[in-house]
Amino acid sequence: MKSLDNARRCLRISSALMAPLALGFVIALWAAFIHAPREREMGEVQRIFYFHVGAAWNFYVCFFIVFVAGILYLWKRKRIWDQIAASAAEIGLMLTTVTLLTGILWARPIWNTWWPWGDPRVTSVLVLWLIYAAYLIFRSSMPDGEKKFKYCAVFGIIGFLDIPVVHMSIRIWRSIHPVVIEGGKMNLEGPMIAALFIAVGAFTILVAVLLCLRLAQRLQSAAAAEMMLEDLSDYEEEDASAGLREAAAGRVSE
Amino acid sequence: MKHLSQLWTLAIKDLRIEYRSRHAFRNTLFFGLLILIIFQVAFEPGSQATREASPGILWVALLFPGMIRLNQSFQMETEESSLYGIVLSPVDRGIFFLGKFLGNWLFLLLTGLITTAAFLIFFNFPVSQRLLLLAIVVVMGLAGFAAVGTVMAAMVAASPSREVLLSILVFPIIFPVILAAVQVSQEVLVREELTAFGPWLRFLAVFDVVYLATGFLVFEYVVGE
Repeated sequence: MKSLDNARRCLRISSALMAPLALGFVIALWAAFIHAPREREMGEVQRIFYFHVGAAWNFYVCFFIVFVAGILYLWKRKRIWDQIAASAAEIGLMLTTVTLLTGILWARPIWNTWWPWGDPRVTSVLVLWLIYAAYLIFRSSMPDGEKKFKYCAVFGIIGFLDIPVVHMSIRIWRSIHPVVIEGGKMNLEGPMIAALFIAVGAFTILVAVLLCLRLAQRLQSAAAAEMMLEDLSDYEEEDASAGLREAAAGRVSE
Repeated sequence: MKHLSQLWTLAIKDLRIEYRSRHAFRNTLFFGLLILIIFQVAFEPGSQATREASPGILWVALLFPGMIRLNQSFQMETEESSLYGIVLSPVDRGIFFLGKFLGNWLFLLLTGLITTAAFLIFFNFPVSQRLLLLAIVVVMGLAGFAAVGTVMAAMVAASPSREVLLSILVFPIIFPVILAAVQVSQEVLVREELTAFGPWLRFLAVFDVVYLATGFLVFEYVVGE
């Protein structure tokens, strides 16, 4: 069966990526805690920044995948695009949660508040979290079928289009978020930049692994559902004459 | 020309159905009125702090009851299967979307007008030229709300839990509209000078155009093909 082959392929890719993933996170931890110097004003707390940004860059990647897969689904009508979009949305939502939580841990000592409502980026990430949580709630509210895949694709597209709009609206508000990249130049020292890129890379491998795993699960469960349906139709052909017809007749007479 | 008359026919059809029953009209207005009164009482009635927060209350009173109408706009089509009639008629899907949008928008404007008048009375705002600016904001804010809401309402119409689902889908997407509308209403109602009025209004215009265009393009995939 084709979807089972695809599932096997996904599992192969994810197991091949396991070693790089482990290595990537070990190096990222080393770079963030040992290689990168202690920030002069913020102290040790600043080190959470590498993982905060690592997760943040990658949820954009995930939501972009949801968007592109949505367009491809509406165009090609292949179920795999819906399965990819669903998996990417889940991982993206998870990374958005990581970004928000690491942000909270950092904001308390530095900005002296758990939730800086005045900050535009915090608010826009929160809105993204809401959009993709809504996407997953919407998914789970419908039975599998072409309609569900189509609607989810549409919502994924609309949700992604909302990202720049949300950013724009919140930029008209004021900002207190530290700006790290300004006009192409980074406000960071060499080892800090290295730690940042390693963290981003490690999270990207994580996204790839999780995407393959979730996609494999979805492909397998679709294959299982297909097999059950086939079995059922075989059964109907064999026994339609006797038992089933009797049962149907009984239901009618009642 | 043909498209314009189709669009108008679709919008008028919805409004005529509503005019004959007036259920959504009555419920929307009553719910809006309740929100205004409850918020007024929940905060200190007549205090300066409540006045400062009043633009937010106005938008809650405009948007939350508006969901009643959005929910109904496709529910009535699916219940009596009249959706097939429209889908089978030679109307472009984009025009169908715009017609539905127009019906919803006009309805929301009508109830919004009454709710806003009640709001001005309850919160004791003087009649001034500023109210004209407020009217522009209400018209543009409700357009964005109706554009996103019309697409989403079509998607949830067949679901048994459509009421809750529609709110879950619409409010995260229209977050920027709520932000812009509340900010600019606040400026119009309680600030001395208008500083951010222009940028916010331009932003609302961008939002309305983006989501009308998106709805126009994707509606083909939302209602049968």
